[in-house]
Amino acid sequence: MRISLDWLQDYVDLTVEPEELAEMLTASGTAVEGIEHLGEEHEHFIVGHVLEVKSHPSADRLSLCRVDVGGEVADIVCGAPNVRAGIYSPVAPPGSRLPDGTVIKEAKIRGFASRGMLLSEMELGISEEAAGIMLLEGEPTAGTRLSDVLGMRDTVLDLEVTPNRPDCLCMLGVAREVAALTRQKTRYPVFALHEAGAPAAEEVKVEINDGALCSRYAARVIEGAKIGLSPWWMRRRLQSAGVRPISNVVDVTNYVMLELGQPLHAFDLDLVKQGHIIVRRAEDGEVMTTLDGVERKLTSGDLLICDPSGPVAMAGVMGGENTEVGGGTTRVLLESAHFDPANIMRTSRVHDLPSEASYRFERGVDPSGCVRAADRGAFLMQELADGVVRPGAVDARARVIDPVLLRIRNNRTARLIGIELASDETAAFLGSIDLEVIGTEETGDDTVLTVEVPTFRPDLEREIDLVEEVARLYGYDRIEPTLPRTSSNLGCLTPRQVKRREIAGVLSGMGLHEAVTLAFISPRWLEILDPAGVHLPMERVRLRNAISDEMSVMRPSLLPGLMEAVCFNLNRRVMDVHLFELGRVFLPYDGEDLPREPEKLGFALAGRWLPKQWDREAEDSGFFAAKGMLEALASSLHVQGLSLRRAKMPFLHPSQSCAVSIGGLDAGYLGLIHPGVAEKADLPPETAVMEIDLELLILAAQTASPYQDIPRFPSIQMDLAIVVGEGIDALEVEETIRGAGGELLREVRLFDLYRGEQLEAGQKSLAYSLSFYALDRTLRDEETRDAYDTIVTALDRKLGARLR
Amino acid sequence: MAEQAFLDEIKADPELGGMYTEASAALEEALGTAVLEEVRVAFLGRKGKLSVLLQGIKGLEPEEKRRVGRLGNLLKGWLEEALEEKGRLLREREMGDALAREKIDVTLPGRIIPTGTRHLLSRIIEEIEDIFIGMGYRVVEGPEVELDYYNFEALNTPAWHPSKSLSDTFYVEVPGTGRDDILLRTHTSPVQVRVMESTPPPLYVIAPGKAYRRDVPDATHTPMFHQVEGLAVDEYITMGDLKGTLELFAKRMFGEERDVRFRPHFFPFTEPSAEVDISCNICGGSGCRVCGGTGWLEILGCGMVDPSVFGYVGYDPERISGFAFGMGVERIALLKYGVPDIRYFFDNDLRLLRQY
Repeated sequence: MRISLDWLQDYVDLTVEPEELAEMLTASGTAVEGIEHLGEEHEHFIVGHVLEVKSHPSADRLSLCRVDVGGEVADIVCGAPNVRAGIYSPVAPPGSRLPDGTVIKEAKIRGFASRGMLLSEMELGISEEAAGIMLLEGEPTAGTRLSDVLGMRDTVLDLEVTPNRPDCLCMLGVAREVAALTRQKTRYPVFALHEAGAPAAEEVKVEINDGALCSRYAARVIEGAKIGLSPWWMRRRLQSAGVRPISNVVDVTNYVMLELGQPLHAFDLDLVKQGHIIVRRAEDGEVMTTLDGVERKLTSGDLLICDPSGPVAMAGVMGGENTEVGGGTTRVLLESAHFDPANIMRTSRVHDLPSEASYRFERGVDPSGCVRAADRGAFLMQELADGVVRPGAVDARARVIDPVLLRIRNNRTARLIGIELASDETAAFLGSIDLEVIGTEETGDDTVLTVEVPTFRPDLEREIDLVEEVARLYGYDRIEPTLPRTSSNLGCLTPRQVKRREIAGVLSGMGLHEAVTLAFISPRWLEILDPAGVHLPMERVRLRNAISDEMSVMRPSLLPGLMEAVCFNLNRRVMDVHLFELGRVFLPYDGEDLPREPEKLGFALAGRWLPKQWDREAEDSGFFAAKGMLEALASSLHVQGLSLRRAKMPFLHPSQSCAVSIGGLDAGYLGLIHPGVAEKADLPPETAVMEIDLELLILAAQTASPYQDIPRFPSIQMDLAIVVGEGIDALEVEETIRGAGGELLREVRLFDLYRGEQLEAGQKSLAYSLSFYALDRTLRDEETRDAYDTIVTALDRKLGARLR
Repeated sequence: MAEQAFLDEIKADPELGGMYTEASAALEEALGTAVLEEVRVAFLGRKGKLSVLLQGIKGLEPEEKRRVGRLGNLLKGWLEEALEEKGRLLREREMGDALAREKIDVTLPGRIIPTGTRHLLSRIIEEIEDIFIGMGYRVVEGPEVELDYYNFEALNTPAWHPSKSLSDTFYVEVPGTGRDDILLRTHTSPVQVRVMESTPPPLYVIAPGKAYRRDVPDATHTPMFHQVEGLAVDEYITMGDLKGTLELFAKRMFGEERDVRFRPHFFPFTEPSAEVDISCNICGGSGCRVCGGTGWLEILGCGMVDPSVFGYVGYDPERISGFAFGMGVERIALLKYGVPDIRYFFDNDLRLLRQY
């Protein structure tokens, strides 16, 4: 809501500077988002009095004018058809700059000197009017500043009015706030109607068929109106509020809406059949053409203003083309009604037709103010369009909305806000915004005030609403900051939250960067990754109103987001990408309305793990970097029972992928992206990915493990190199070694893997470092030798391995 | 002086004196530890000159034997000491030479140890969590796919409220249910309702997490974003407590020098409601482009929990009161670090991730 301070002064004195006023309004709940100073661009223009006009000897359209510009007479060449001796018009003197940037210079035009320029409204940048120069009203003194004469210098406050305050969507409502803040009384507009002719009720009949949606419909009849341009002051005020002037009759409806908050609509009464207004719901499929020329298809949810032949307006939203006020209109039916806010909001949204009127109706206009606004509009049409107002307003009321009575306990304010106010202070705050205290009751240690809430404050329905009014008028800045007198609460993270942070810390410490990807993905990803729905079931959580197909499915896996992030980086030539993400996935849950939202941990490694350095070769990421990462994470969390077994996933390389289990439970997968998937997704073929269930990981992560004795006796290291067939997995070998090694075997570490010419085809050599120790003694050589022999025998027997 | 004395005596003896002169010269000429060892062997080895001489005194007259024996042993002692001294010198020099030969270019880059990062949004969420944990709050979580009831209705949002429209809120189709009131939560506030439903007061919790609104992405909007919701419910919680708590938070988060102001505002689920601004750090409060000339930056919305919200969860608003607040994590990140575009947070561009 744009508030012209020049206009606002009609209703309240401005006793403080605009900046201070803005701060006061902001601090009381009507935030000022901007302060605009108008008229500065017009500072250099002055009033010129045209004394003499001669036509140019050789150019028909040009006139040679002698113009009094205050203290001197200037020769000005003018091309406007309406220039004549005696008129007053704005002059741009040499050196001044027009709003469009043109700088006026002394010049010779077709052989005659011209010192300045007479200006049209368009050239002044105040309207579209360009047919001739602007003619100033009255007899202003030549040479005075145009902005003074036209009242152009103004300050406009741009207010953010919250949806609960429809009363502040007009000048008078804002004036009421300003008056309360500066301890004044609001001045309501005073005007006198000169009614004449037969009563309006003889011309117009109003029938409300749906009292729930229209509580009141008031109408005035104005005859003999002359449609024309509104006077400058009104156009300027409308413009300051951001409303485009159209014609005097239409401008009056907008002016009163801005002044009093009540939207008005003017019909050409001659086009309303029988002068009979019927307020009813539309029939399904009924059509009408609104003022903007668009044909609207209506439903029974829409409220219409009709005459006996059909719709003439969409109630509270927009008028109909068939009854529009035009240049030939003389008889006006002026509507001032009260509609149901929710219904207007619905219609305005369904038809995507927001208007200044619907904006106000959907927030709630004052049902008691209809007739007053109609009178005000009629008065202005009488003054500005020479209209004759027919006696009386036709006031149809389907129901009466009375002021509400509310009670406010003084102790309630103290307890909720933390301020101690005497009951008369509370009453004074409420009174300052026209909430009258009509009763006071002492009950024990409390005082209860009964307050009459005027109908222009539909937001005040409960005691708490009054408490808020008191608090904001008292001033939030005056409320003493305190801290809750907390009983005994311990602020802490849950063990699960602690672990979650720890996991993120470990992964970032190991060189992964945390990613946050969008939780909605493109179905294309699922088509690429798992077209048959093997691992990612086809039952998916979808958005019903996605912004685009690209963001239409709630992710069942972190993989698409991570892959997209990898692609994003590769496309920007960032080739070595190591990302992890902790986030929820969304899986429909049998028998439940809401999906399951398990949290997952995923990572993706693309490109090199380490670049080539001056003393070492580059290190690739690949499968074993990913596996090492997961193992290191598990080890740092002291997770027991992490195991990876060969498994196939539709989106992973079929022979370089694993299922991950923790404590025997299926936790997820790890492997290289399937080359086919990589190709479709524009990923490098060696991209390694992992995704596991975070809950399982956290459950398995030990918070504290019991103390284990530290060996005091030396350990014995032995190396074991064997040759086995390629078909045997390292895990089988290691399990065999551990199984045969007995309790003294403490560590088994593979340190070499060899394939090559020294071995037969289909064989590989594995070399392990074994570590033995006992906690209670130094081991004898025979003990380790025996264990070693048992291992060798077992390897031979179970796996056909031989020593190398 | 005593030393000098016996050396003079040695020098006076033709044989020992000669040996002394010879040994002194050899010591002088020994430029490496290997040569020095040769000198030691030549004089003190089993067949060394001095050893042989000392072995030879057995056949001398007793007096001569005593004199030569004494001087010979003194010479031996002197020579051992001199060898030791010289040896130390030579070893030091040799080690110095060897270390000098091991010179490296210390300006070569160190080995690359991969370092990762936490996402800026995670960092900020944890920073917020820690501030409130310090004030006695617990961290709670709730579902991102929610029912209208928790997201709107129980938060006192009227059925016709524009924020519920298909153009503002994402609605969700969950297979197996015919419900049309399932949505992506538009704020983390529904967690408030869930926590109050399941826990009796007093309650001091914050709920961080993702929220979703149907905004077409631009520099200040993304359809997914993060919020931290806070809730305190207890006997005698006042708006003064809300002010004190959030002032403390704002100063911790943004700096003690920041001014904090509370402006009345409107939210369906709190009353009275307020928006909280901090003074602009770009212009120091005098007004600039970032703060829109006002000198203030809005950081969060808050208010006293509306009595009807308590009604929905079965709390008695006559016995307890509470405050709630909610803040956008991305906005705080934009303000605190000057990131110019909110969409950057979800690109996961390593060149940005590495900065934090």
